[in-house]
Amino acid sequence: MINFNIAQWRAWAPGLDSVDAWRDWCQAPTLLAQSDAAPDVSFLPAMQRRRLSRLARMAFSVGWPLAEGLQDLPLVFVSRHGETPRTLDILSDLANDQPLSPTQFSLSVHNAVIGLWSILRNETSEMTALAAAGDGLEHGMLEAAALLNEGAPAVLLVITEEQPPPAYTRWINDVPFPYALGLLLTPGDEWQLALHTATVQPTETQWPHALNLLRTLLDEQGACQHAWKNRVWNWQRKP
Amino acid sequence: MSNPNSLEHDIKTLIIEALGLEDIDASDIGSEQTLFGEGLGLDSVDALELGLAIQKKYGIKIDADAKDTRNHFINVASLAAFVTARQAA
Repeated sequence: MINFNIAQWRAWAPGLDSVDAWRDWCQAPTLLAQSDAAPDVSFLPAMQRRRLSRLARMAFSVGWPLAEGLQDLPLVFVSRHGETPRTLDILSDLANDQPLSPTQFSLSVHNAVIGLWSILRNETSEMTALAAAGDGLEHGMLEAAALLNEGAPAVLLVITEEQPPPAYTRWINDVPFPYALGLLLTPGDEWQLALHTATVQPTETQWPHALNLLRTLLDEQGACQHAWKNRVWNWQRKP
Repeated sequence: MSNPNSLEHDIKTLIIEALGLEDIDASDIGSEQTLFGEGLGLDSVDALELGLAIQKKYGIKIDADAKDTRNHFINVASLAAFVTARQAA
Protein backbone atom coordinates (compact mmCIF):
# COMPACT_ATOMS: atom_id res chain seq x y z
CA MET A 1 0.00 0.00 0.00
CA ILE A 2 1.29 3.46 -0.84
CA ASN A 3 0.23 6.95 0.23
CA PHE A 4 0.62 10.25 -1.58
CA ASN A 5 -1.03 13.53 -2.44
CA ILE A 6 -2.09 14.56 -5.93
CA ALA A 7 -1.12 18.23 -5.75
CA GLN A 8 -2.07 19.15 -9.33
CA TRP A 9 -3.08 17.54 -12.59
CA ARG A 10 -3.18 18.39 -16.29
CA ALA A 11 -4.73 16.39 -19.08
CA TRP A 12 -5.03 16.60 -22.83
CA ALA A 13 -6.96 14.79 -25.54
CA PRO A 14 -8.16 16.13 -28.91
CA GLY A 15 -10.67 18.85 -28.10
CA LEU A 16 -10.18 18.51 -24.34
CA ASP A 17 -7.62 21.04 -23.24
CA SER A 18 -9.16 22.84 -20.29
CA VAL A 19 -10.35 21.91 -16.82
CA ASP A 20 -13.94 22.71 -17.82
CA ALA A 21 -13.76 20.56 -20.94
CA TRP A 22 -12.47 17.65 -18.85
CA ARG A 23 -15.12 18.23 -16.21
CA ASP A 24 -17.80 17.93 -18.89
CA TRP A 25 -16.21 14.83 -20.37
CA CYS A 26 -15.84 13.19 -16.98
CA GLN A 27 -19.53 13.64 -16.24
CA ALA A 28 -20.57 12.04 -19.51
CA PRO A 29 -17.58 10.23 -21.00
CA THR A 30 -17.84 9.58 -24.71
CA LEU A 31 -15.55 8.37 -27.43
CA LEU A 32 -13.84 11.35 -29.06
CA ALA A 33 -13.89 11.74 -32.83
CA GLN A 34 -10.70 10.77 -34.69
CA SER A 35 -8.48 13.80 -34.91
CA ASP A 36 -4.97 14.80 -35.90
CA ALA A 37 -5.07 17.71 -33.48
CA ALA A 38 -1.97 18.11 -31.34
CA PRO A 39 -1.54 20.21 -28.22
CA ASP A 40 0.12 23.61 -28.32
CA VAL A 41 3.75 23.43 -27.25
CA SER A 42 4.75 26.86 -28.48
CA PHE A 43 6.50 27.41 -25.14
CA LEU A 44 9.30 25.32 -26.67
CA PRO A 45 11.70 26.91 -29.17
CA ALA A 46 10.69 26.10 -32.78
CA MET A 47 13.97 24.35 -33.57
CA GLN A 48 13.43 22.02 -30.63
CA ARG A 49 9.77 21.24 -30.99
CA ARG A 50 9.87 20.41 -34.71
CA ARG A 51 10.92 16.80 -34.12
CA LEU A 52 8.37 16.09 -31.41
CA SER A 53 5.67 13.60 -32.32
CA ARG A 54 2.15 14.12 -31.05
CA LEU A 55 2.91 11.71 -28.21
CA ALA A 56 5.87 13.83 -27.13
CA ARG A 57 3.82 17.01 -27.54
CA MET A 58 1.08 15.55 -25.35
CA ALA A 59 3.63 14.61 -22.67
CA PHE A 60 5.22 18.07 -22.76
CA SER A 61 1.89 19.90 -22.77
CA VAL A 62 0.66 18.21 -19.58
CA GLY A 63 4.05 18.00 -17.85
CA TRP A 64 5.48 21.45 -18.55
CA PRO A 65 2.95 23.56 -16.56
CA LEU A 66 3.15 21.13 -13.63
CA ALA A 67 6.93 21.46 -13.53
CA GLU A 68 6.75 25.25 -13.59
CA GLY A 69 9.07 26.72 -10.97
CA LEU A 70 10.14 23.33 -9.64
CA GLN A 71 13.75 22.27 -9.85
CA ASP A 72 15.12 18.78 -9.38
CA LEU A 73 11.79 17.22 -10.21
CA PRO A 74 12.01 13.47 -10.89
CA LEU A 75 9.85 12.25 -13.76
CA VAL A 76 8.07 8.94 -14.28
CA PHE A 77 6.96 8.60 -17.88
CA VAL A 78 4.47 5.84 -18.63
CA SER A 79 3.24 4.63 -21.99
CA ARG A 80 2.20 1.09 -22.79
CA HIS A 81 2.46 1.34 -26.56
CA GLY A 82 4.75 4.32 -27.07
CA GLU A 83 5.36 5.91 -30.45
CA THR A 84 3.41 3.46 -32.60
CA PRO A 85 3.22 5.76 -35.68
CA ARG A 86 7.01 6.22 -35.61
CA THR A 87 7.57 2.52 -35.09
CA LEU A 88 5.38 1.68 -38.06
CA ASP A 89 7.23 4.22 -40.26
CA ILE A 90 10.57 2.70 -39.35
CA LEU A 91 9.38 -0.87 -39.84
CA SER A 92 7.84 0.08 -43.18
CA ASP A 93 11.15 1.55 -44.34
CA LEU A 94 12.93 -1.62 -43.24
CA ALA A 95 10.39 -3.82 -45.03
CA ASN A 96 10.85 -1.78 -48.21
CA ASP A 97 14.66 -1.91 -47.99
CA GLN A 98 14.76 1.84 -47.52
CA PRO A 99 17.39 3.51 -45.36
CA LEU A 100 16.10 4.52 -41.94
CA SER A 101 15.53 8.14 -41.09
CA PRO A 102 18.17 9.10 -38.51
CA THR A 103 15.68 11.43 -36.84
CA GLN A 104 13.00 8.75 -36.57
CA PHE A 105 15.55 6.23 -35.37
CA SER A 106 17.02 8.54 -32.73
CA LEU A 107 13.56 9.21 -31.29
CA SER A 108 12.24 5.67 -31.49
CA VAL A 109 13.43 4.41 -28.13
CA HIS A 110 10.96 4.45 -25.27
CA ASN A 111 12.98 6.88 -23.19
CA ALA A 112 13.38 9.44 -26.01
CA VAL A 113 10.70 11.67 -24.49
CA ILE A 114 12.37 11.84 -21.09
CA GLY A 115 15.70 12.45 -22.82
CA LEU A 116 14.21 15.45 -24.63
CA TRP A 117 12.59 16.57 -21.38
CA SER A 118 15.97 16.46 -19.66
CA ILE A 119 17.67 18.44 -22.45
CA LEU A 120 14.95 21.05 -22.86
CA ARG A 121 14.48 21.65 -19.12
CA ASN A 122 18.10 21.19 -18.18
CA GLU A 123 16.79 18.66 -15.68
CA THR A 124 19.16 16.03 -14.30
CA SER A 125 16.93 14.38 -11.73
CA GLU A 126 16.10 10.71 -11.92
CA MET A 127 13.75 9.86 -14.76
CA THR A 128 12.15 6.59 -15.69
CA ALA A 129 10.29 5.45 -18.79
CA LEU A 130 7.92 2.56 -18.17
CA ALA A 131 5.92 0.37 -20.50
CA ALA A 132 3.70 -1.82 -18.37
CA ALA A 133 0.47 -3.58 -19.26
CA GLY A 134 -2.96 -1.97 -19.00
CA ASP A 135 -2.19 -0.94 -15.44
CA GLY A 136 0.84 1.15 -16.31
CA LEU A 137 -0.64 4.04 -14.33
CA GLU A 138 -0.47 2.03 -11.12
CA HIS A 139 3.02 0.70 -11.84
CA GLY A 140 4.09 4.29 -12.46
CA MET A 141 2.54 5.27 -9.13
CA LEU A 142 4.64 2.61 -7.37
CA GLU A 143 7.77 4.03 -9.00
CA ALA A 144 6.76 7.57 -8.00
CA ALA A 145 5.99 6.49 -4.43
CA ALA A 146 9.44 4.95 -4.19
CA LEU A 147 11.00 8.25 -5.29
CA LEU A 148 8.89 10.18 -2.75
CA ASN A 149 9.92 7.69 -0.10
CA GLU A 150 13.56 8.39 -0.97
CA GLY A 151 12.99 12.03 -0.11
CA ALA A 152 11.93 13.72 -3.35
CA PRO A 153 9.71 16.69 -2.40
CA ALA A 154 7.61 16.09 -5.53
CA VAL A 155 7.48 13.65 -8.43
CA LEU A 156 5.95 14.25 -11.84
CA LEU A 157 4.09 11.34 -13.40
CA VAL A 158 3.11 11.59 -17.06
CA ILE A 159 1.07 8.87 -18.71
CA THR A 160 0.23 9.10 -22.39
CA GLU A 161 -0.94 6.94 -25.25
CA GLU A 162 -1.06 7.64 -28.95
CA GLN A 163 -3.79 6.41 -31.27
CA PRO A 164 -2.14 3.43 -32.94
CA PRO A 165 -2.06 3.26 -36.75
CA PRO A 166 -4.74 0.92 -38.22
CA ALA A 167 -2.11 -1.81 -38.75
CA TYR A 168 -2.07 -2.34 -34.98
CA THR A 169 -5.81 -2.41 -34.29
CA ARG A 170 -5.91 -6.20 -34.04
CA TRP A 171 -3.53 -6.04 -31.10
CA ILE A 172 -4.14 -2.72 -29.41
CA ASN A 173 -7.63 -2.20 -28.04
CA ASP A 174 -7.03 -0.09 -24.96
CA VAL A 175 -6.47 3.31 -26.58
CA PRO A 176 -9.90 4.74 -27.42
CA PHE A 177 -8.30 8.06 -28.42
CA PRO A 178 -4.97 9.81 -27.85
CA TYR A 179 -4.61 11.19 -24.35
CA ALA A 180 -2.14 12.35 -21.75
CA LEU A 181 -2.45 12.85 -18.02
CA GLY A 182 0.12 14.55 -15.82
CA LEU A 183 0.07 14.25 -12.04
CA LEU A 184 2.19 16.25 -9.67
CA LEU A 185 2.63 13.95 -6.69
CA THR A 186 3.80 14.99 -3.26
CA PRO A 187 4.24 13.15 0.05
CA GLY A 188 1.05 12.87 2.07
CA ASP A 189 -1.86 10.62 2.86
CA GLU A 190 -4.74 12.14 0.90
CA TRP A 191 -4.66 9.16 -1.40
CA GLN A 192 -4.01 5.52 -0.81
CA LEU A 193 -3.35 2.90 -3.46
CA ALA A 194 -3.43 -0.78 -2.60
CA LEU A 195 -2.95 -3.90 -4.69
CA HIS A 196 -5.09 -6.97 -4.23
CA THR A 197 -5.25 -10.22 -6.08
CA ALA A 198 -8.52 -11.07 -7.70
CA THR A 199 -10.08 -14.34 -6.70
CA VAL A 200 -12.55 -14.12 -9.55
CA GLN A 201 -11.87 -12.55 -12.94
CA PRO A 202 -12.37 -8.81 -12.33
CA THR A 203 -14.05 -6.58 -14.88
CA GLU A 204 -11.85 -4.17 -16.75
CA THR A 205 -12.91 -0.54 -16.75
CA GLN A 206 -14.34 0.89 -19.94
CA TRP A 207 -11.85 3.75 -20.06
CA PRO A 208 -8.08 3.67 -19.61
CA HIS A 209 -7.09 3.81 -15.95
CA ALA A 210 -5.64 7.31 -16.27
CA LEU A 211 -8.93 8.71 -17.56
CA ASN A 212 -10.93 6.75 -15.04
CA LEU A 213 -8.78 8.17 -12.25
CA LEU A 214 -9.40 11.65 -13.62
CA ARG A 215 -13.14 10.99 -13.40
CA THR A 216 -12.70 10.03 -9.75
CA LEU A 217 -10.64 13.17 -9.13
CA LEU A 218 -13.07 15.54 -10.82
CA ASP A 219 -16.29 13.98 -9.62
CA GLU A 220 -15.01 14.16 -6.05
CA GLN A 221 -15.60 10.47 -5.68
CA GLY A 222 -13.93 8.72 -2.79
CA ALA A 223 -12.57 5.70 -4.52
CA CYS A 224 -12.12 3.76 -7.70
CA GLN A 225 -11.03 0.27 -8.58
CA HIS A 226 -8.88 -0.68 -11.55
CA ALA A 227 -8.28 -4.26 -12.50
CA TRP A 228 -5.87 -5.77 -14.97
CA LYS A 229 -5.38 -9.50 -15.31
CA ASN A 230 -5.39 -10.77 -11.74
CA ARG A 231 -4.29 -7.46 -10.26
CA VAL A 232 -6.89 -5.29 -8.56
CA TRP A 233 -5.86 -1.77 -7.62
CA ASN A 234 -7.92 0.11 -5.06
CA TRP A 235 -7.62 3.87 -5.07
CA GLN A 236 -8.96 5.48 -1.92
CA ARG A 237 -9.27 9.17 -1.13
CA LYS A 238 -9.03 10.16 2.52
CA PRO A 239 -12.58 11.00 3.64
CA MET B 1 22.05 21.38 -67.59
CA SER B 2 20.03 22.34 -64.58
CA ASN B 3 19.78 25.95 -63.61
CA PRO B 4 21.90 26.36 -60.47
CA ASN B 5 19.53 28.90 -59.03
CA SER B 6 16.61 26.54 -59.19
CA LEU B 7 18.75 23.71 -57.82
CA GLU B 8 19.57 25.90 -54.83
CA HIS B 9 15.89 26.61 -54.38
CA ASP B 10 15.12 22.89 -54.56
CA ILE B 11 17.74 22.14 -51.91
CA LYS B 12 16.33 24.81 -49.62
CA THR B 13 12.88 23.27 -49.98
CA LEU B 14 14.36 19.84 -49.33
CA ILE B 15 16.04 21.11 -46.14
CA ILE B 16 12.77 22.55 -44.87
CA GLU B 17 10.76 19.42 -45.64
CA ALA B 18 13.28 16.81 -44.57
CA LEU B 19 14.14 18.56 -41.32
CA GLY B 20 10.61 19.69 -40.41
CA LEU B 21 11.58 23.34 -40.09
CA GLU B 22 8.45 25.11 -38.94
CA ASP B 23 7.64 28.71 -39.80
CA ILE B 24 10.30 29.29 -42.46
CA ASP B 25 10.31 29.06 -46.24
CA ALA B 26 12.97 28.77 -48.92
CA SER B 27 13.46 32.53 -49.19
CA ASP B 28 14.48 32.65 -45.51
CA ILE B 29 17.55 30.52 -46.17
CA GLY B 30 20.47 32.33 -47.76
CA SER B 31 22.52 30.28 -50.24
CA GLU B 32 25.70 31.30 -48.44
CA GLN B 33 24.22 30.98 -44.95
CA THR B 34 26.00 28.47 -42.72
CA LEU B 35 23.71 25.49 -42.15
CA PHE B 36 25.16 23.89 -39.03
CA GLY B 37 25.85 25.30 -35.61
CA GLU B 38 25.76 29.04 -36.16
CA GLY B 39 23.60 30.34 -39.00
CA LEU B 40 20.55 28.17 -39.57
CA GLY B 41 21.34 26.24 -36.38
CA LEU B 42 21.07 22.67 -37.61
CA ASP B 43 22.62 19.86 -35.56
CA SER B 44 24.29 16.50 -36.14
CA VAL B 45 21.02 14.55 -36.50
CA ASP B 46 20.00 17.08 -39.16
CA ALA B 47 23.28 16.43 -40.97
CA LEU B 48 22.50 12.72 -41.19
CA GLU B 49 18.88 13.35 -42.18
CA LEU B 50 19.85 15.89 -44.83
CA GLY B 51 22.53 13.57 -46.21
CA LEU B 52 19.91 10.84 -46.56
CA ALA B 53 17.40 13.19 -48.21
CA ILE B 54 20.01 14.39 -50.74
CA GLN B 55 21.04 10.85 -51.59
CA LYS B 56 17.41 9.83 -52.10
CA LYS B 57 16.36 12.84 -54.12
CA TYR B 58 19.40 13.13 -56.37
CA GLY B 59 20.39 9.48 -56.53
CA ILE B 60 23.94 10.12 -55.44
CA LYS B 61 26.10 8.43 -52.85
CA ILE B 62 27.61 10.39 -49.99
CA ASP B 63 30.48 8.95 -48.01
CA ALA B 64 29.89 10.14 -44.45
CA ASP B 65 33.53 9.51 -43.54
CA ALA B 66 35.11 11.28 -46.49
CA LYS B 67 37.16 14.31 -45.48
CA ASP B 68 35.53 16.69 -47.95
CA THR B 69 31.93 15.73 -47.08
CA ARG B 70 31.92 18.33 -44.32
CA ASN B 71 32.88 21.02 -46.84
CA HIS B 72 30.01 20.10 -49.14
CA PHE B 73 27.53 20.67 -46.32
CA ILE B 74 28.67 24.17 -45.37
CA ASN B 75 25.82 25.95 -47.10
CA VAL B 76 23.22 25.60 -49.85
CA ALA B 77 25.59 26.88 -52.53
CA SER B 78 28.24 24.28 -51.70
CA LEU B 79 25.61 21.53 -51.61
CA ALA B 80 24.30 22.60 -55.04
CA ALA B 81 27.83 22.53 -56.46
CA PHE B 82 28.38 19.09 -54.95
CA VAL B 83 25.11 17.69 -56.36
CA THR B 84 25.86 19.16 -59.79
CA ALA B 85 29.35 17.67 -59.83
CA ARG B 86 28.14 14.24 -58.70
CA GLN B 87 25.32 14.15 -61.20
CA ALA B 88 27.68 15.07 -64.02
CA ALA B 89 30.14 12.34 -62.97
